[in-house]
Amino acid sequence: MKRPVLLAVAAAAYLIAAWMVAPGFYDGFAPPQPYNWTSPPPVAAPGNLPPKSGHLDIKVIGGVSDANSAFTNDGQVVIGFLPGAFDATGKTSISVDIKPESTFAGPTGLHFATNVYLITADAPLVKAANLVLRYSDLVPAPSSVYLAVDANGPWKSIGGGDGQPFTIQTTTRPLGYFAAGYPANATRQAPTGTSQVLPIAVAILILGVLIAGIPLAMVRRRRAAGEVEEPDEDDEA
Amino acid sequence: MLSRTCSALLAVPPLPSARTIWISKSLGRPSGRMSWAVRAAMIGAYILLVEWMRAVASTFPGAAIAAVVLGGAALALTAIGFSAARLGLGTSRLWLRILGGMALAAVLLLPAAARANTAPILPASLALVAMTISVAQELAFRGALYAALEEAGGAPLAIIGSTVAWTAAHALSHPPAFLGAVAAAGLLLALWRWACRDLVAPIIGHVIADLAL
Repeated sequence: MKRPVLLAVAAAAYLIAAWMVAPGFYDGFAPPQPYNWTSPPPVAAPGNLPPKSGHLDIKVIGGVSDANSAFTNDGQVVIGFLPGAFDATGKTSISVDIKPESTFAGPTGLHFATNVYLITADAPLVKAANLVLRYSDLVPAPSSVYLAVDANGPWKSIGGGDGQPFTIQTTTRPLGYFAAGYPANATRQAPTGTSQVLPIAVAILILGVLIAGIPLAMVRRRRAAGEVEEPDEDDEA
Repeated sequence: MLSRTCSALLAVPPLPSARTIWISKSLGRPSGRMSWAVRAAMIGAYILLVEWMRAVASTFPGAAIAAVVLGGAALALTAIGFSAARLGLGTSRLWLRILGGMALAAVLLLPAAARANTAPILPASLALVAMTISVAQELAFRGALYAALEEAGGAPLAIIGSTVAWTAAHALSHPPAFLGAVAAAGLLLALWRWACRDLVAPIIGHVIADLAL
């Protein structure tokens, strides 16, 4: 089989294989596992799985709670506690639970880029805990983590900074309902912006190849008719 | 068009024959197939180790970018000892190679472009890091590993071996559902490397694809 035919077959095979998984092959950064939504946006609805919860029992040694991290089983939330983070008076262990919530106070004036998670413990925090929320790569990055200590709200920003790609992290003393998002009037790039750029970029690439390729093909055809091509001096031997 | 592009790059002397290699060995030169097989195995194992370590390191908070940069540097080390031409980095007909890279990028991005609503967003701050790892991966997989495998067992082994290693390297960082597309992309890039004896186009295609996604 001729080489160009093999290349064409490989390209077709790639297109089929990449078409079978949304959004297709991408490698710039390891795609985190697809985000599991309680209520997925339309772009993420196909194949969405329910988010998972997490539980941790923290040992209390000598009246001091141990250092440990609680996380959901899909890794979408991680909360880390320092030694002595809890008021452990009279306890031998402290139970921490993380649950994705589908009913919560409406985030007036906010857009959430993650699920809302309820984090509870059976002892009060006396030291700030480090909270990391993963967000979907299909939505604009959130600017802040929001907290509502009660199911009825209100939501309050507790800050947030970039961690590893597609995560936002902050610290918190109170526990309650957490979500990452951004103000509704923020001028962040919406996913629809990207949806325009990518097809245009690919169209430009195809056009570029065609436009540059036509004169090339003509020159090569003319040469092939009358000349023998010289071997390259710098190609591999 | 593709045929013309490739044929322009294909006007190169053939690889050394088995007889030439046998003569080289007889004369005491350490360039036999066995030594190349050992070298290919070592490069392959090293690449997999680096890629898997990079995937694991990326899971630690704040370590992702450092892991990519250091991992990229470690991958690029595999190219040491190979001439630029042997890696497929010749400079002749550079504009053809660039054109080939654009064509490869278009193919790699086409499925995502057709379903742009589901395309992820690469933060602009990560663009340079994405370029670094793209170039390093091409140097390692389609450059050094491909060259060593080709010397050891010919083009079929180089194409299949580099594709298998490429897919295995992504096993820890990508969900299993993506590995078919990863393998197909690796096969396409390896076939280009073989058909056109060129690594410039795979580098350009890979960089553009990673920058877009």
